[in-house]
Amino acid sequence: MTATRIVGRSLPRMDAPGKVTGTAIYAADFALPGMLHGRVLRSRDPHGRLVQIDASRAARVRGVRAVLTAADVADVRYGGSVKDEEVFARDRVRFAGQPLAAVAATSPEAAAEALAAIEVAVEPLPPIVDVTDALAAGAPLVHEGWASYAALPILHRDGNVCNRARIVVGDVERGFEEADRIFEHRFVTRSVHQGYTEPRAAVAQWDSAGQVTVWSNTQLPFEIQSTLSEILQVPVSKVRVVVPGVGGGFGGKLRVGVEHFAALLARKTGRAVKVMTTSEEELTAAYARQPAIVELKTGVTTDGRLLAREGRLWFDTGAFAGSGPGVASVATLMLAGPYRIPHLLLEGYAVYTNKTNFGSFRAPSGPQANFAVESQMDIIADALHLDPLDFRLRNIVREGEEGPTGQVLTAVGLEECLRKVADAIGWKDRRPAPGRGKGIACGWWTTTGGSSGVYVKINPDGTVALNTGAAEIGTAALTGAAQVLAEDLGVELADINVVSADTLSTPFDFGAQGSRTAFAVGNACRAAVADLKRQVIALGARQLGVDESALELRDGAVVAPAEGKRATLAELARISQASGGGLIAHGTFVAPPTPYDAKRVEGHVYPVFHSPSFHAHAVDLSVDADTGEVTIHRYVVAQDVGFAMNPTYIEGQIEGGVAQGLGQALSEEIVYDAGRVLNANLTDYKMPTAVDVPRIESILVQHPSLVGPFGAKGVGEPPNIEPPAAVANAVASATGVRITSLPITAEKVALALRERER
Amino acid sequence: MHFEYHEPTSVREAVELGARFGADGRFLAGGTDLLIQMRRGQLRPRHVVSLHRVPGLDAIDVDGAVTLGALVTHRRLEREPSFRGALQALIEGAEVVGGHQIRNVATVGGNIVNASPAADVAPVLLALDAEVTCLGPGGERSLPLEAFASAPGVTARRPDELLTRARFARLPPHSATAFLKAGRRRAMEISLVCVAARVTLDASRERCLDVRIVLGAVAPTAMRARAAELGLRGQPLTAQALREAGRAAAGECRPISDVRASARYRALLVATLVERALARCGERIRQAA
Amino acid sequence: MGKLALSLTINGESHDVLVEPHRTLLDVLRTDLGLTGTKENCLDAECGVCTLLLDGMAVNACIVLAVQCRDRTVVTIEGLAVGAELHPLQRAFIDAGAVQCGYCIPGMILAARAYLDENPTPSEAEVREALAGNLCRCTGYQKIVDAVMRAAGAPAAAR
Ligand SMILES: Cc1cc2nc3c(=O)[nH]c(=O)nc-3n(C[C@H](O)[C@H](O)[C@H](O)COP(=O)(O)OP(=O)(O)OC[C@H]3O[C@@H](n4cnc5c(N)ncnc54)[C@H](O)[C@@H]3O)c2cc1C
Ligand code: FES
Ligand code: FES
Repeated sequence: MTATRIVGRSLPRMDAPGKVTGTAIYAADFALPGMLHGRVLRSRDPHGRLVQIDASRAARVRGVRAVLTAADVADVRYGGSVKDEEVFARDRVRFAGQPLAAVAATSPEAAAEALAAIEVAVEPLPPIVDVTDALAAGAPLVHEGWASYAALPILHRDGNVCNRARIVVGDVERGFEEADRIFEHRFVTRSVHQGYTEPRAAVAQWDSAGQVTVWSNTQLPFEIQSTLSEILQVPVSKVRVVVPGVGGGFGGKLRVGVEHFAALLARKTGRAVKVMTTSEEELTAAYARQPAIVELKTGVTTDGRLLAREGRLWFDTGAFAGSGPGVASVATLMLAGPYRIPHLLLEGYAVYTNKTNFGSFRAPSGPQANFAVESQMDIIADALHLDPLDFRLRNIVREGEEGPTGQVLTAVGLEECLRKVADAIGWKDRRPAPGRGKGIACGWWTTTGGSSGVYVKINPDGTVALNTGAAEIGTAALTGAAQVLAEDLGVELADINVVSADTLSTPFDFGAQGSRTAFAVGNACRAAVADLKRQVIALGARQLGVDESALELRDGAVVAPAEGKRATLAELARISQASGGGLIAHGTFVAPPTPYDAKRVEGHVYPVFHSPSFHAHAVDLSVDADTGEVTIHRYVVAQDVGFAMNPTYIEGQIEGGVAQGLGQALSEEIVYDAGRVLNANLTDYKMPTAVDVPRIESILVQHPSLVGPFGAKGVGEPPNIEPPAAVANAVASATGVRITSLPITAEKVALALRERER
Repeated sequence: MHFEYHEPTSVREAVELGARFGADGRFLAGGTDLLIQMRRGQLRPRHVVSLHRVPGLDAIDVDGAVTLGALVTHRRLEREPSFRGALQALIEGAEVVGGHQIRNVATVGGNIVNASPAADVAPVLLALDAEVTCLGPGGERSLPLEAFASAPGVTARRPDELLTRARFARLPPHSATAFLKAGRRRAMEISLVCVAARVTLDASRERCLDVRIVLGAVAPTAMRARAAELGLRGQPLTAQALREAGRAAAGECRPISDVRASARYRALLVATLVERALARCGERIRQAA
Repeated sequence: MGKLALSLTINGESHDVLVEPHRTLLDVLRTDLGLTGTKENCLDAECGVCTLLLDGMAVNACIVLAVQCRDRTVVTIEGLAVGAELHPLQRAFIDAGAVQCGYCIPGMILAARAYLDENPTPSEAEVREALAGNLCRCTGYQKIVDAVMRAAGAPAAAR
C-alpha cells in the first residue's frame, strides 16, 4: 500500500470545537422568532375503533393556534416498502402511541393543556400483542385492507405477514439426512431503543412561495423530503430539508417522525413550528429494534462440519411495515452467518402486531440473528466436544468462497479476526476460575450501497469546500471523507470546510445509514478530485505554458518538476474565478452491483452484502452465582475494517457499538404488557452508564476491499452485532447455564441457576 | 405545573408558610423527587416552599447522638469522615443514590418524606433506630422513623409540618453497619432490593447482642425483618446462622412483581443481600478490633 | 401566579429575566437566553445532558427552577473557554477523540470539571463513577474517561 499523509491518521474530527464549546447547533436547539410549540396526542389504546375525536375544547385553550386531526390532512398512505401508514389514525387505532391529533401553541404548557382537552372515544379491540398472536389461525388482521396497499412488487405479503424473505440453497432435507447430528433451538429477543441522547426534533416554516423548509435531525434528508412531499401533497421541489447537528441516530432517525407534524402545523398556522419528542414518545412510538423469535435447525457431521441449516426469524414489525420487510431480508443473510453451509433454507418474516412501528437500529437484524446463530454454534461445539473457536474456524467462509446467495467473497479477514481476539482474551484458559468464563462470537455485515454525490470547490485562498448531501450524525464519517479529499488533493485537513445535508443545495446522498457514509462519500470525493485534477492540470498547463503531461498535482499545487514550474491551487482558483467560473467538480459514487444467484432468493430486498466486513468479539466475565449479576472483566473486538481511515474514530465506533450491544445483551428492553409499554422513561429503560461499560480493546484488521476508498469497508454498525452472543456464550461458559432470550438479566441468570440446582 | 413560589429564610418562616398552605403546599428541598412528580402531573401543589435559603437545617452533629439536619445532602453523608467505621452503611446508602448531580442536591429529609419503598438512605436510618422530628404550627414532635411511613408516599407528617431532622444514638462498642443494593445497572438505579444491617456483638465478639435488618423495595415501606433479627440474637455469626437469617428475611418480605423484577427474584436477592450484609458487619467488627 | 423578575448570574454575566415559577433553569437558558449549549433530553434527571454548575456544583438543570437560582452563580459550557482559549478539559476531549455526536459532551465536561475541582488526581474508576449520571450513547465512555484522565494530568495551574 502506498504511504498516505492524511487518510489513515487519527486526526481530530473537524466539528469537535463547536461541540465542546456548546456552540454547535442541533435540531433540538434550533429556534426561529415567533416559533410555536407542537405536540402530538397519541392513542392510549393499542387497538380499537376510533369512534370520535373532538378537538373543539382544545382549540379554545389560551395560546393554541392550531389543532389537527385526520380530518384536516390529506388521506394518503405512505411508507417505504408498503404504503400502510397514515399521519393520524382515521378510523382504526393500531398501537398505543399512534398519533391521533397535533396541536401548535405559543408555549409548551399551552400545547400540553390542549392535548389534555382533546376528547377521544375509542372502542377497544383485543390487541394482537406479538408475532405468535398475529400468526395464530384465525387471528384478526392488523390491516384488513393490506392487499389494497401499494407495495414493492417483490415482497411476499399475506395478511399479517408484510414480507417473507427467503434464501434456498441446495436441498436442506438432504443435508439433514446426511448429517450425523441435528440441533434445534429457539431464541427470543426484545425491543431495544437506539437511545440517541438528542430527541427527534424538527422546526418547519413555509415561505410565501409555498416552499416549506424543515430543519430536522434526520439521518436521511432526501428520504424525509420525498416522504413530506407525499404527505403534504406538494412537489419535492417545494420541500427543503436541512440537517443541523444530529445528536446520534443509530437508525432511529431514518424515517419521518416529527417533521410531518411540524410541517402540517406550520402550514396551518403560517408560523414556524417546532416539534420535539419526549422520552415517553421515544419509548412508545419510535423506530426501536424489532423483537424477534428465531428458530434454528442445524445439521452437522460429528467432526464438526456444518451441512444444513433451516432457520426462521420472525420480526414483530408493529402496526406498520416500515423497515420490516427489508430487515427481514437482511436477517436471512445473517442467519447463514459467516459460514460455509451447503444446504440452506432461511426465512425472515416481518409480521404486523399492535405495537409501534419498529425500525432499523444499527445493524438491523444483526444482533437478533447473530445471538441465535452464535449461541447455537457454541451449543453444538459443546455437544460435539469441540472447542468453539476450532469449530468456527472449521466452518468460516474464506477468500474466494461463496456467500449464501452466491456472491463471491473477497477480502475475508475473518480467520485473522477470530485468531486475534482469541489470543487477546487468552482463549486457551476459557474457564479461569469458578463462575468465570470467556465467550466468543463472530459475524459479517454489509457496507450498504446507494449513491452519493459531492461538489468540491476550490476557494481562491486554496482551501476547499466539500458540499455533500450526507448528514454528520456523530460518527466522524464526514471527517473521514474529508481526509480522503485532503489526501487526494494534496491539501491539509484543516483546509477543508464541509457543507452538508441541505436538500436544496447539496447533491443527493443516500444518507447516513448502513455503515456507508465515509465509504461512499469518500469515494465520491475521489471522483471529484479526479475531475478537479483534470481541470487544474488543463488550466495549469495553459498558465505555465507546459504540456499537460508534464504536470502533476502535489501538495496543493500543480507542478512541472522538469521545468521547475509551479502554480498553487489558490492561484488557479483565482484565475478560474476571473475567467472560468471557478474550480468545481461534481463527484459521484454508487457501489457497483455485487453479482449473486437470483434463483436462490425470494421476497428479498437485500440479497447480497456489499464489500462485507468480518468481525469477532471475545469477552471475559464473571457471574455471581447468588444474584446472577454479570461482571465483565475484559472485552476485545477484532474487526476487519478494510482500511482504517481514522483509527481513533473507528475505535470510537467499536467502543460505542459494543457499549450499546452490551445494553442489549444485559439490561435493555422495552417491556410490553398487552400492547402497552411499562417502562416508557429513562428511569426504567436501562442504558449502560460509564460504570457499566468496561474498557473495550479494539484490534483493527485490514483486508482492503476492492471498492472502498483506500480499501475501507463500512465500520459503524458491526460492533453492535456480536455483544449479545458473546456475552451469552461467556455466561454459559462461566455457569453452564444457557440463556436463550435477551436481555440476559441478572434475574434470568439467577433463576436459571436455581432451576438447575433443583 | 402552575404554582406560587416562596422562599423563606428561616425555619420559623418556613413553618408559617407550611401552616398557611397546608395540603396545598409542598416543601422543596433538592427537588429530585418533587419536581419530577410535578412534571409528570402526579403532584399539583399550588404553593411550593423552597427550603434552600433556610439556615440551620443542613448540619451533621455527632456530639452524643448523631443528628442529621433535613437538608443534609447525600453528598455530605457520603463524605462525612465520622461515619467511616461503624456508620459505614450511611455512606454506602448515600453513595449509591443517583449520580453526582442528584446527590449534590438530594436531601435526607426528602428521602424520608418522599417515602418511596425503594429509597436507599431511609432504610439505613431505620436500622439505626432513628427518630425524626417534625415542626409544625402546633410545635415540635418526634417519632420513631419506623412509625413514620405507612405506605408509598404516605407518612405521619402532617401537611403543615416541616421535617427538621433525623437523630439516632451512637452505636455501642463492637458494632458495625452495612448497606447493600441490587439493581440492573451499577449506577443510577432504583433498588430492586436494598438491605441495611446493624450488628452489635458482645465484648468477646462472639455472639450477637443486637441486630437490625431492614429491607427496602420488598414491601409498601422499608421493613424490618424481625424474624431474621430474632433468630440471630444471642447467636454467633456463623456462616450457617447468616444463611438462615437471609432465608428468614426472604420468608418475611412481601415483594411484588413489577417491570423491574419479579417477586421471586426479589425474595432471592433478600436472602443473598441479608446474608452478605450481615457477614460484612461481622468482618467490620473484627477488623475494627 | 404571574411572572417573577429575577437576575441570574450566568458565566459571570448578569441577566434579567421575567419567568413563571415553574420554568426550569434549563428552559430559561435555552429559550429565553439562547444558551443552547446546555442540552435537553429526558427532563427526568436521568441522562445528564443538562448538567451545569450551580455554585460550582454539578446539577441537572432540568430539575432546578430558575427562581431558585437568584443570587447564585451558574456556569454553562459557554462559560468554560476563556476567549479563544479552550478549557483543558475541552482540549482533552478533542485530543482524546472523545467527541462523537457531541450532544452529551457539554454535560460530560461540566460533570468532569466539578469532579476534578474536588479530586484533581482521580483514578479511572473514580472518573467513571463521577460520570455515571451522564449517559453517552455514542462513545462507550472510554475516550471520554481517557479525556478526563488526560485533563487531570495537566498541570494543576492550568485547571
Ligand atoms: C435520577 C434519579 C435517581 C435517583 N436515585 C435514587 C436512589 O438511587 N436511591 C434513592 O433513595 N433515591 C433516589 N432518587 C430519589 C431522590 O433523589 C431521593 O429520594 C432524595 O433523597 C429526595 O430528596 P430531595 O431533597 O430531592 O427531595 P424533594 O424532591 O425536594 O422532596 C421530596 C418530598 O419530600 C418533601 N420534603 C422534602 N424535604 C422536606 C422537609 N424538610 N420537610 C417536609 N417535607 C419535605 C417534598 O415536599 C416532597 O414531597 C433518585 C432520583 C432521581 C431523579
Ligand atoms: S434532560 Fe436533564 S437529565 Fe436528562
Ligand atoms: S457523543 Fe453522542 S451521546 Fe455522547
